[in-house]
Formats: sequence, structure tokens, C-alpha cells
Amino acid sequence: MEVEHESKREDDDRETLTIDPLSNQFANLNDLCFEFTSLQDLAFRGSWRSILDKIARARKLSLLQKPHEDLIYLAYSVLALTKLHRYTEAAEELHSMPDFDSPRYRYESHPEIYPNRCGSMVPFAIRWLNAEIPLKLGRRQESLDRLYVLLDFVRVRLRERESRGSELGFCVDVWRKREAFVVYSIASHHLSNKEFVVCLELIQGLVRQDSANAELLSRLGYVQVQVGDLEGAKSTFGEVERLMKEGNLGENEFRNLVGRNKALIYLIGKDYVSAVREYDECIERDPTDVVAINNKALCLMYLRDLSDSIKVLESALERVPTFALNETIVVNLCSMYELAYVNHSEIKRTLSNWIARVAPDDFDSSSTRV
Amino acid sequence: MSAAATQGSHSLAFRVMRLCKPSFQIANPLRVDPLDLFVGEDIFDDSAAAAQIPRLLQQNHLTKPSESDLTYRHRFELRNPSDAMGLSGLLMLPQSFGAIYLGETFCSYISINNSSSFEVRDITIKAEIQTEKQRILLLDTSKSPVETIRAGGRYDFIVEHDVKELGAHTLVCTALYNDGEGEKKYLPQFFKFIVANPLSVRTKVRAVKENTFLEACIENHTKSNLYMDQVEFEPTQNWSVKVLKADEHHSETNFKNREIFKPAVLIRAGGGTHNYLYQLISSTPGSTQVKIDGSNVLGKLQITWRTNLGEPGRLQTQQILGSPITHKEIELQIVEVPSVIVLERPFLVRINLTNQTDQKMGPFQVCLQGDPSEERAVMINGLQAVVLPQLEASSSTEFILNLIAIRLEVQKIAGIKVLDARDNKIYDTLPDLEIFVDSD
Repeated sequence: MEVEHESKREDDDRETLTIDPLSNQFANLNDLCFEFTSLQDLAFRGSWRSILDKIARARKLSLLQKPHEDLIYLAYSVLALTKLHRYTEAAEELHSMPDFDSPRYRYESHPEIYPNRCGSMVPFAIRWLNAEIPLKLGRRQESLDRLYVLLDFVRVRLRERESRGSELGFCVDVWRKREAFVVYSIASHHLSNKEFVVCLELIQGLVRQDSANAELLSRLGYVQVQVGDLEGAKSTFGEVERLMKEGNLGENEFRNLVGRNKALIYLIGKDYVSAVREYDECIERDPTDVVAINNKALCLMYLRDLSDSIKVLESALERVPTFALNETIVVNLCSMYELAYVNHSEIKRTLSNWIARVAPDDFDSSSTRV
Repeated sequence: MSAAATQGSHSLAFRVMRLCKPSFQIANPLRVDPLDLFVGEDIFDDSAAAAQIPRLLQQNHLTKPSESDLTYRHRFELRNPSDAMGLSGLLMLPQSFGAIYLGETFCSYISINNSSSFEVRDITIKAEIQTEKQRILLLDTSKSPVETIRAGGRYDFIVEHDVKELGAHTLVCTALYNDGEGEKKYLPQFFKFIVANPLSVRTKVRAVKENTFLEACIENHTKSNLYMDQVEFEPTQNWSVKVLKADEHHSETNFKNREIFKPAVLIRAGGGTHNYLYQLISSTPGSTQVKIDGSNVLGKLQITWRTNLGEPGRLQTQQILGSPITHKEIELQIVEVPSVIVLERPFLVRINLTNQTDQKMGPFQVCLQGDPSEERAVMINGLQAVVLPQLEASSSTEFILNLIAIRLEVQKIAGIKVLDARDNKIYDTLPDLEIFVDSD
């Protein structure tokens, strides 16, 4: 709970006491933003429609008192609309902020609310969503252009902070993460468009900067596998394994990563039995490893065991629904149903009804093809 | 022989699914880092905020979702930054038959379902591929028929076939069975597909001086990018081959990462091309080519490619021909030239004259001929024509030509011809030879 805490800073000669949640050790997240934990809770549950309702209510009743709160709610609104495929509305929300760099959105323009704070209060996600939206509206090139511009923007900020020295350590890390995030977004678009050579180059560039990132290296391996460069992939996965051993990344997360990579190599070589064995070890370590579960099911199918492959996926949906309920798993299961049953509509409909009850708002229900 | 299907309803039905390799699912995940969403982008410029905010997050969220976390937060928050790439590692089954190309392997899951409410017995199942030219049997259970398929049950099998023909193919699945009422029934089902040509190869053979080069241009007609695993030229007996590659322009000094950073040769879908260059070295010195009806067989290209998840395909071209040699009747060849040639000092060149016909030919005259206005750098010293006697069929003779160079540095011995002594018909010209003329 909040505790009234008199500010003891030397330059405090203001008339009112400002409780700055960021320097108050007893503050909580709701001090940072109006009813933030409730927003977060809805987001975790995938209740994006409820989030939109909440935001609409807050705006209507003018419950948001500070400009940064408006921005955060705007960010959640755009994210929710995008997740619900309501792209035109998302674009309209963004239009209400014609210029992200306007002084309106800087702390120093509101010294009465944010004493001693300067900089942009725009959540970075807004800039990113602004870049992603055109593609959803069919304008792919515009999105790519905006993402590259955003990458420049991030790099300028990163250099500025790097040159300011060590007190900004955490801040520099955050901007570095943002830089990688934008490059990953660009790479994902190239991947969707099967522009694999560009994608490989982007990822290789990231690997040069961050060579100890096992997840990133594994993804490089996946692209190499997708493309058919099996020697390259084996080499990359070998590097991941070496990182794990040397770095003593003993956590299950990394053991499973290495295990899944091994399984993939077996799978490519058509040694489905060994792949299943590797996946089983992963599942035993972490029963929520849905990538292992899904891929194991596919291996069983390639081993002519359609019945068991269906069982594996059905059981995962039953056991760990919040992890397993994912569009790809549903598509795979429905493909298996179509093969296994002449009259598959009924069983697909049962699945579809269950999904309607359990799935988050942003789940793509067309994946059942019912 | 395709017997007519039994009329009436069938207890059994075939379900077929092409089983090419699965693909990685690629998504646009719309997942964010919470630090990018609920605070201003510049807030961490303040070191107090930088200390406080992660702590607040820590208090309120589990750092990693556990099995008891029954939320969909992984669809909202990034767990690992590279999650934003949308490549989770989830594989997806092929969603459509897709295109199939010559050189690939056709693989299919075939399930025979009993959708009736009665048991079905003694099922003889056959699967074969029929093309214009042939029928290939893939599966036949007639020697040991499947005893029974219960009501609602299935019998599954997987077939594979290397595609070696173009055009229409039909997968014919047949079942001969005793249904629930003991009646013998015959069910044929047909699944058609068309095999197309994945690549075209254009070759050019060039002779540059004594070297023969083969340039091969491969064009990709498929709908996916092709990873060129191997493109090898297999020469005939008379040739050996050397692959010529441009120097790698990515210098990865970090040896351990060499394989990770090696650029992949990927030919773009729908019309992309890639060129390969080979040098052919004749393995029989002296005589230049295999004379087979004026044609010149060099060898074949063996091509292996990979698509989706390493799915392989392989093809061989037909024999590649070099430029046909015109069959010369009379041939002039230089045998020996001195290693040092000095300006305005006569030098001797030994020349071979061959009669490749099956008749006596000659007498011959060897002289320098050409454009009179052009001042030659190398001229015949002394008598301007050498007369040579008749030559028997398929025989040769050598003679010496006395030459003199009147200009320095790189020059050519050119324009030396052999003619018939009586009617001045030109049989052959000595190929130009470059020499270096030293000063005194």
C-alpha cells in the first residue's frame, strides 16, 4: 500500500509534495499508471475485448489524470485492436498522435506533474506498432520502410546514451534490446515472405554482436534448416550445444533447447524414432514444452502412427491448455483428423466448440477449418 | 487392368495425404517487452527509475511462467528477445498437395478407413503409380492380406516413389475386401498429380587459347527457393574438370564460425538463376578432341538441390557437347619455336603438316598470305614459299620455316598458310602464335 513519504531532496522547494513513485520504495505498479495491474491481468488472460472496454470507460469518465497514462492506455488500445485484427481502428488510434516527437509528449513540458524528469514519455511499443500496422493493412513496403527508420531512431538514441557513460548502464541495455527487437521484427517479415537470404544476413549480423545467445543461434539454425543448408545448421546447433556446456546453462530451458535442436537434426535425416526419443526427454523435463510435444506428434505421424500422433496433441490440449492452445497445433490436429476420419466434421466441431470456450480473444479460430 | 468398382456403397474409403517434409511455422507474434509498453521510452535515463521499475515488475510477475501459470501471457509478453522473430520451432504439416517436380521423392500417407458399422475382412490392398510409360507397384498385400479392419478402424501405410518422369501421374489405390455381409467388393480410388520440370540448364562452351571453359546457367522454375547442395560436372574420359569460383568476399576470420557464416547458394523461386564455371582440361595431350561424327562430347552435370527442411531432389543433364570440330583435310600445327627470339635475327620454326584424308594429297606450298597493306611483324626469311611434295593418306611430315621478326616485344606469327601447289586452294592456316621479341 502507499505510504506518504516526504521528499527530502535538496532542491525540493515546490509548494506541493509530489510523491514520485519512481523514487518511492513503497510504491507499486498502480502508482505508475492508473489501474495498471488490472490492465496487465486482462492482457495475461488474453481478454483484449475487456481491455478495450476498460480503456473506453477510463476515457469516457476521464479517469486518466496524467498525460503519460493517456499514452499507456493508447498503447494498450492499439495493441488490443491489432490483436483482434481490427487494423483500421488501430491505425485511427495512432492517427490521434500525429507526431510522436511533439513536445507534448515530453516530461519536461509538464514540470508540475513530472518535476526533474525529462525525455519522451511515449512508450516504445507505440512506435513499433505504428511501423507494423501498414503491413496489416496490405502495405508491406511501408511497414518495412518504417521499421528501418525506427531502427535508425533506436541506433541514434543508443549511441547518445552509450557516449554518456556508465551511469546509464541499464538504459543502454534497454535500447540495445530495442535495437535487436526491431531487427527481429524486420527479420520476421522477410521470413514470412520467404526472403531467406536477407533474413540469414540479418540474423548473422545479430549473431556477430551477440554470439552467446543460444536462442538466437538456434533460430539461425532453423532458418538454415528451412532453406536446406543442413551442414550450416548442424554447425550452428553444435555451437549452441557448446555454449550450453561452457556457460553451464544447466537450466531445463536450455537443455530442452539443445534437445529440440538434436531432435530436429534426426527428423531431417528421417530418423523419426530418435527424434521422438529426444522430444520425450524434453517433455519429461518440462511438460509445458509444446514445441517438443507438437513436433513429437508430427514424428509419430511420419512413423505411420496417426492414432498416437492425434493422442499426443489431444492430451496436451487437455493437460496444459494455456500452453498448447496455439494455432499451429490446432491446424496440425485438424489435418490429422481429416486424414484419420472420413467424417471429420463432427470431431472438428467438438474441438472448435471447446476452443471457443477456452481460447483468448486473439485466437485465430479459422485454424480449425470448420 | 482396372476392374470396375463394385457398385453400391463401400465400407472402406481411402484417405490420402502427401507427406513431404513439414515446415516451420512463421508468425508475426505481436509480443512485447513490458518495459516498452507501460513506461515512457526515456524513463530509464533516470537511474532511480532504472533501479525501481524492474524491481516492481519482479514483485508482481513471476519471472518465468510455470506449469501452474494458467494464463496466455506467452502470447503477449516476450520471454526471450528473439521470440519476436516469430520462429518458435513449431513444425506444421503440409497444408496442400503442393507442386511436385522431377527428381524429387513423392511420399504419401495412405489410410484406409472402415466407416461402416461392421467388420471388414480379408483386405487385399494395392497401391501403384501409373504414368504414360509405366506402372510402378508401391504396395501389394495380396500375399498376406490384412485380416480385418474393425468398424471405425483404419489400416495405414506410407509409400514413397522417386519421380523420374514428367507429366501426369496417377496414384491408384485399390482394396479388394469382404464386407460386413460377406460380399466381395472392389474399391479403386485415383489421385492424380502432375510432375513438372524444376530446372533448366543452359550451357556455353568457350575455347580460349588452349583452354576450354564450360559455363552452366541453372534456372529455377519451381515455386520455392532451391538450396544448391551440389552441382558437379562429370566429364567424359578425355577430360578432367576444375571448378572455378570467385574468391569469397566475406572474410570470416573466426574459424569456428566459418560454417555458420558461409553464404548459401540459394536460387530464387520462379525464375532465379545461378551460374557455374568449369575449366576442362584435355586428358589426352596432342590430339584435341574425341571425333565422334563431328560432335564433341564433354560430359554431364549432376545437380542435387534441397528445399523445405532439406527435402532433396536430384537430376542429371544430358550429355553436353562442345563446339563441333570441323573435320580438317589438311592441317598445319606448330611443333617447335625457339625460346628466345631476337629482333632482326632469323629463327627457325618447326611445323607439322598432316594429311587427314584417305587419299594422296599435294604437292603443297607454304607461304605467308594475308592483307598486303598490313605490315607483318614476323616474316618469312628467304624464299617466300616452301614447296612440299605429295603426302600419302593419313600421314604427316615436318618441315622448317625460316622466320625473322622486325618489331620488338609481343608479336604474332600469323598468316602462314598451306595451299595446293597447283590450284592455290587454301587448305589450312597456321593458328596465330604470340612470341616475345627481344632486343639485341
